Amino acid sequence: MTSTNPQSDALPASMLPRRSLLQTLGGGMGLLGAAPFFASEALGGTGSNVVHFAPRAKRVIHLFMNGGPFQADLFDPKPLLEKYAGQRPDGANLRTERPTGGLLPSVAKFYQRGQSGLPVSDLLPRLGEHADDICVLRSMHADNPNHGPALMQMNNGTILPTRPSMGSWFLYGLGTENENLPGYVVLCPGRPVRFAELWTSSFLPAAYQGTYVNHADLTPSKLIPYLQGDAKTPAAQRRQLDLMQRLNTMHLQQRGPDNALEARIASLETAFRMQSDASEAFDLSTETEATKEAYGKGHYANGCLLARRLVERGVRFVQVYYGNGQPWDTHSKHNDAVQNLCKDIDQPTAALLADLKQRGMLEDTLVVWGGEFGRTPTTENGDGRDHNHHGFTMWLAGGGVRGGMSYGETDEFGFRAVENKVHVHDLHATILHLLGINHEKLTFHYAGRDYRLTDVHGRVVQEILA
Amino acid sequence: MFEPSPRAVTVVCRIGLVAIVALLVAFTGNLYAAEDQPTAAQIEHFEKHIRPLLHKRCYSCHSEESAVLQGGLRVDSKSHLLAGGDSGPAIVAGKPEESLLVQSIQYRGDGYDMPPDGKLPDTEIALLVDWVASGAVFPGNEVAGVAARSSIDWAEGRQFWSFQPLARQQPPQPSEHDLSNGDIDAFILAKLKEHGLSQSPSADRATLIRRLTFNLTGLPPTPEEIERFVADDSPRAYENLVDDLLASPQYGERWGRMWLDLARYADTTESWLGSTPNSHLYRDWIVRAFNEDMPYDEFVRRQLATDAIGPEEYEHLPALGFLGLSPTYFKELLLPPDIIKVLVADEWEERVDAVSRTFLGLTVACARCHDHKFDPISNEDYYALAGVFASTRMIDRPMIPADQYAPVEAAKKKVAELDEELKKLNKQKPKPEPEIKAIETEIAEIKSTTANFNSPLANAVTDESLHVILAGEDPQSGSKLDYRPEPQDLNIAIRGNPNKLGDLVPRRFITVLSPEQPRPLTQGSGRKDLADAILDEGAPLAARVIVNRIWLAHFGRGLVESPSNFGRLGDAPSHPELLEDLTARFVENGWSIKWLHREILLSHTYRQSSEYDEANYAVDPDNRWLWRMNRKRLDIEPWRDAMLVASGQLDLTIGGPSLAADSDKNFRRTIYTTVHRREVSKMLQLHDFPDPSLHSPQRMDTSTPLQGLFVLNSPFVTSRAQALADRLLRDIPSDADARVHQAYQWLFARKASDDELQLAGAYLQEVAAECGEDAPATASATAWKLYVHALLGSNELLFVD
Repeated sequence: MTSTNPQSDALPASMLPRRSLLQTLGGGMGLLGAAPFFASEALGGTGSNVVHFAPRAKRVIHLFMNGGPFQADLFDPKPLLEKYAGQRPDGANLRTERPTGGLLPSVAKFYQRGQSGLPVSDLLPRLGEHADDICVLRSMHADNPNHGPALMQMNNGTILPTRPSMGSWFLYGLGTENENLPGYVVLCPGRPVRFAELWTSSFLPAAYQGTYVNHADLTPSKLIPYLQGDAKTPAAQRRQLDLMQRLNTMHLQQRGPDNALEARIASLETAFRMQSDASEAFDLSTETEATKEAYGKGHYANGCLLARRLVERGVRFVQVYYGNGQPWDTHSKHNDAVQNLCKDIDQPTAALLADLKQRGMLEDTLVVWGGEFGRTPTTENGDGRDHNHHGFTMWLAGGGVRGGMSYGETDEFGFRAVENKVHVHDLHATILHLLGINHEKLTFHYAGRDYRLTDVHGRVVQEILA
Repeated sequence: MFEPSPRAVTVVCRIGLVAIVALLVAFTGNLYAAEDQPTAAQIEHFEKHIRPLLHKRCYSCHSEESAVLQGGLRVDSKSHLLAGGDSGPAIVAGKPEESLLVQSIQYRGDGYDMPPDGKLPDTEIALLVDWVASGAVFPGNEVAGVAARSSIDWAEGRQFWSFQPLARQQPPQPSEHDLSNGDIDAFILAKLKEHGLSQSPSADRATLIRRLTFNLTGLPPTPEEIERFVADDSPRAYENLVDDLLASPQYGERWGRMWLDLARYADTTESWLGSTPNSHLYRDWIVRAFNEDMPYDEFVRRQLATDAIGPEEYEHLPALGFLGLSPTYFKELLLPPDIIKVLVADEWEERVDAVSRTFLGLTVACARCHDHKFDPISNEDYYALAGVFASTRMIDRPMIPADQYAPVEAAKKKVAELDEELKKLNKQKPKPEPEIKAIETEIAEIKSTTANFNSPLANAVTDESLHVILAGEDPQSGSKLDYRPEPQDLNIAIRGNPNKLGDLVPRRFITVLSPEQPRPLTQGSGRKDLADAILDEGAPLAARVIVNRIWLAHFGRGLVESPSNFGRLGDAPSHPELLEDLTARFVENGWSIKWLHREILLSHTYRQSSEYDEANYAVDPDNRWLWRMNRKRLDIEPWRDAMLVASGQLDLTIGGPSLAADSDKNFRRTIYTTVHRREVSKMLQLHDFPDPSLHSPQRMDTSTPLQGLFVLNSPFVTSRAQALADRLLRDIPSDADARVHQAYQWLFARKASDDELQLAGAYLQEVAAECGEDAPATASATAWKLYVHALLGSNELLFVD
């Protein structure tokens, strides 16, 4: 926003001679532009050896089915579940969090969809229309069958809450494309389990943490902390900020060059612009009726549409948690629940893919879909399913990934990943690769060693790259 | 070191000790040489089937080609296979059943299935099994003396600067015209001259008192204090000010907070601990220890083992909060022990990390999976220390003798039972009022007649070891946490995996700091022994680390710039002689932190102006050599406190339970704002408050737009502006210029300049015009509120020259 007030020019360009580190932390460039500044232990160190690939994806949308969906309901057909219904053959005798009984067939029927003939369940009819854009990872596996640790692992690679989340790593590596918006936004209509630990920047600079938005209420003042204050008009606030900046400029002029002072002056300006830009970004009323209709109604639909609006405006990473708590955690009445859940995600997810594609953004936007783990093919409590970290499904679309394919296999019951297994570390390595970052080279020096998102693990799943 | 005797070989094969692998390899190399030469058919079979298979399936992680060698294992030569990796030899030639490689590719589900991305086709498995059975012929590729990881050279390791004994240093002689006030200045001047830099003059009095007061108390000086100091012509004026501020009760709050960052302090403990919410007892103990200038060695000892030093000194029991408030990880006991053991091992690592970095500036936790990659800290050293924490249990402890607490415990139990009963009665319809009344009376009576009923429990630790065992007999039965009174030593967990155990390591201090045999840490858990070791053989390092932390807090950067890493990957000191000499004198002066403050604060170096100097800046823009004072940005605590001071609302009550960050009734100092471990309040989080689940060596300074929004829109800043405006209007009824001056005094410790008065006048007029008024003197309260809001958000409040 520009003002005609002469004092708004209180910051001549000559007063801001350099882009400083602190501006960088304020949301400008990321590490790739600022490596030399990260020298001391407190700010962490990185090698100067961050390797660029040509990035295939510039931004990521992560649709997080918190609670954990069951793989064989959606993209990993297991006809043997019918045949052995109620039995517990040797191959299905795996330990999960709670004791489970015999095999419980899925209610889903599978059809080959698209040109590729990728099998997609009839619970997701609309999404099936995009089968040719989707790369299904059927052989995901993780380390812990407990929500908290598994949520941590999907977000930061370890089961501990004391590591930076992947979104923080993305920002640290790449920064954001629009400094008038937070670079890493977490949307949830409510609170996912473990809450802020899921998007912490931990020992990375605090500027890289996720900004959580409960989009169940889209009142602008509730979106981003302190986005709006009391009833000042923009003009009145501009005048007040002009005074503050005039004083800051005089203060700076008396003190000579000082990056920290300059950085704060710049960040106040950005904050001012953020008030209007962020409010605009979250304002769904400006979308056409056709678009709104395409996404449908409900919190998840709004989350998908907001995600598109945010990445369109340069937000690097948007994570959309499906719902409050862990709605996909179907320990009882699984088959009823899954039909409702699928009904709820089918249209908005399909609309998001269509919308991104139609805007030419799917090419360089990576969409990631999945839970923190999957569920057991065996039954818990007769009609529920327990957590399953041995094998589960996620899918990727856009951003340099081959569509219309599935990769890896689970065993005949869908319990355990057995072929071309993809660990969460491998997923992280692959996402970083698509963003143009070598996961072994994106490091931060802390507590005596160079930390990575993938720790000492991770394999880029080359087979799925377009 | 070791003779390559058969016995040594057995030992090595069993435990796979890194330090002696090289010898093993030399020995097996001989064995190989003695073997019969392979036949041409064997070679052909190998080259046609086996080598391509190994290359395709294994080399990316287990060969010379691997970017990161996994599990320490290479499979690209026979001697590497025989030597094996972290889990021991990979093959036993001729015996596939005893070969780890064969077990792994057969996917037996023990967690070591290989390759990790899926089982090999049966034909390939069969090929490899047959190959091992027929003697594992592996022609060529032999490397003389397989490159195993080298063992640590302790003698060389001990040469590193930070492990040296402490010694006084001869300060350089300053020249006549130098501004020097003691040894610190002498050392600093020498470096300045070496780099062609010159000192800056002293800052003016107003700047000095603002700097000093924020630095020592975390608060701004009052206008009266400024006036008195500026007018004080005694040669001891500055020294007296330093002494007064060191004696101020607010001193401990400012410096205690520094310590709480290191101690990863949180006001809320994890719900699954079921502990009593008394974290503040630890925080208040820290504040008091700083205020009373508890010698640093005692301060360390008490936090690790006050229960072993003075079991009867109950007022010190909260000191154990350093360990007793450690972060814990949720353990779902429905899960089997192998998963729970990993979480427990992660907790032990957290303790090793926090203790070693806080007290010794060493990253011992790096040695959990292997020898430290850079420092002389072995994998065994890690488990020798971890055993202490594996023998320590977090628990709430009464702050009165056990015999006095027994009746309190009984009374509490009784009250809990009565509460239950009460709940039930309250649900009945109609409510049985007389019975309810009777029980309420009984509860009140128990509470009032039981001595010490309200005596708090401290979040502390006790000596008990934790063992994770099966809850029942069936492997499906889940896990049980079994606490036992006797301490335990830990086995090395191979690659950090507690389900894959190596040798048992007795609890003892780390090797590199031990001139002789490392001190055993065996009394009880070993906590007291550990504290003694840190302050005896570890004393030079422990002292250097704390001296550097205090220096850092005064200057904004340490002499060593990596405050919690004094190892090889840390930074070398900028002024090694200064650090040595100051540390040696600190120890001579009884580990007194206040002595250290005085020494630093009385130096000319500290008193220098922070003004820009073109010539010096051209040479040393980072001010590494301290040619001026660093301009420092206030942390969230003093910044928030300063706003409360300006608005006349600060509540200086010391200690007690915390208050919510977003409460509009919270006028207390920011150190008393609730820190939630798992969800730090927005205000703190936006302003670089460290993650309270991690030891934080140093605050970061970031400038973000989200902080800008806090300035522009937060209820906190807006309310302070309102209160500050009200205060100005009340205290100074009419004169606008006088109000502006007063606001500048409260916020910036100075009067406003003419330009600033003009700016204020113009702004107030403009806003007032909008409000329908006609002159600044009568401008509406709104105009003043908006005006002071701009001052509160300005850089001059946030930065200290």
